[in-house]
Amino acid sequence: MADHQPAQSSSDERVQRDEHADHDEHVDYRKIYFTLLALLVVSVAGPFLGILWVTLVTAFGIALVKANLVLQNFMHMRTEKRVIKWILVSALALMGLMVAGVAPDVMRHEGQNWVNVAARDAVARGLSGGHAEDEEGEEEIEVVPEVDPTVFSAGATFNITCAVCHGEAGDGAGPAGVALTPSPANFTDPEFWATRDADRIFTVIRNGAVAVGGSPLMVGWAFAYDDEQIQELADYVIAFRPGGQ
Amino acid sequence: MSARPIATTRSATGIPTGRLAVWWVIVSEITIFGGLIGVYLMHRLGHPEWAEAAVHTKTWFGAFNTLVLLTSSFTAVLAHQAAERGNGKQAAKLLMMTVGGALTFLVVKGIEWADEIQHGYTITSNTFWSFYYTAAGLHALHVIAGAIIMCFIAADAVRGRELHRVELIGIYWHFVDLVWIFLFPLLYIAK
Repeated sequence: MADHQPAQSSSDERVQRDEHADHDEHVDYRKIYFTLLALLVVSVAGPFLGILWVTLVTAFGIALVKANLVLQNFMHMRTEKRVIKWILVSALALMGLMVAGVAPDVMRHEGQNWVNVAARDAVARGLSGGHAEDEEGEEEIEVVPEVDPTVFSAGATFNITCAVCHGEAGDGAGPAGVALTPSPANFTDPEFWATRDADRIFTVIRNGAVAVGGSPLMVGWAFAYDDEQIQELADYVIAFRPGGQ
Repeated sequence: MSARPIATTRSATGIPTGRLAVWWVIVSEITIFGGLIGVYLMHRLGHPEWAEAAVHTKTWFGAFNTLVLLTSSFTAVLAHQAAERGNGKQAAKLLMMTVGGALTFLVVKGIEWADEIQHGYTITSNTFWSFYYTAAGLHALHVIAGAIIMCFIAADAVRGRELHRVELIGIYWHFVDLVWIFLFPLLYIAK
């Protein structure tokens, strides 16, 4: 890099020009261009058949073919030095690694010890409500439901907060629950309900099990939820009772 | 020392320094657009409800803009060919046609977006539209940047100066075309 001399650089320019003359002779740009246009027509026509795999092939298969045509012929990758190919392939490989690493967390909405409540709710909301089209096919303003994360949902709260010990199924087998002594209450056990009523459930959620002489591990939640919300949570818990309320 | 030692000399790789630099720019662009497209794909596959939002993108606008960009890539490579033959005037003319393609692309995009925004599809409507405007918007910024640089290079080329730069901006421009080649099926076709 540092030791170049004027004489050398002019001969270098000639070498470059020779290299370029190479692809200049062999590539018919017009032919490449018209091939690209034909492929564009196919990719737009594909979805009209209404067959999913045809659409996917004409969309992404053809995109790859088009990209390769541009890369090889317009960007002259065909005659470019090999190191460039390796640099590009490395960047793509690292991208692939990033995507592969993140994809399971993004694409799945629940795992062993976690639930992506926001994503799951978004799917449910999106599939039930959503866009509106009238009979002429003219689009109306989309009704976008206001998403307010502060809105309380007993089910979601139970699944995030309570299910850690009590389990999403309410059976006391949550991931953290198995380590506790005494075991967390099993709301699906008829024996449990033999000595409980709605008021007691409400009191325990609000003030903790200590308030009724139970385990200090079940803490009170009055600091986090108001009485109305605790009532909803109590109703949610009571719904686990076998044979109804 | 030569008067102009930087862009005309060969680097250790045997590639002219300017061209090597453009390839490095493109490598970093791959991580930018690749990351965006990768994240889009993950969410698109994890969220079936996005299909309902994607229905509203305008395929014909996307297809026309693909045609425009492919054509502008064609004129860019012809400009490169003219520059290699030492015909700076022709190269400048073809570069300005490429700029024309860039402007057409942006005007069509503007009409398309204005219509969508009027119908209530904005960047905050939902995550699909966020991606739509982010990805296409970032791409449009690259189109604008390319058009501006091409104007400078054409101004030199018409006087027969710095003709090697015609190839360099061409490589960048083809990359911008490549990104659109993938955004087009993602946002307009597979829905």
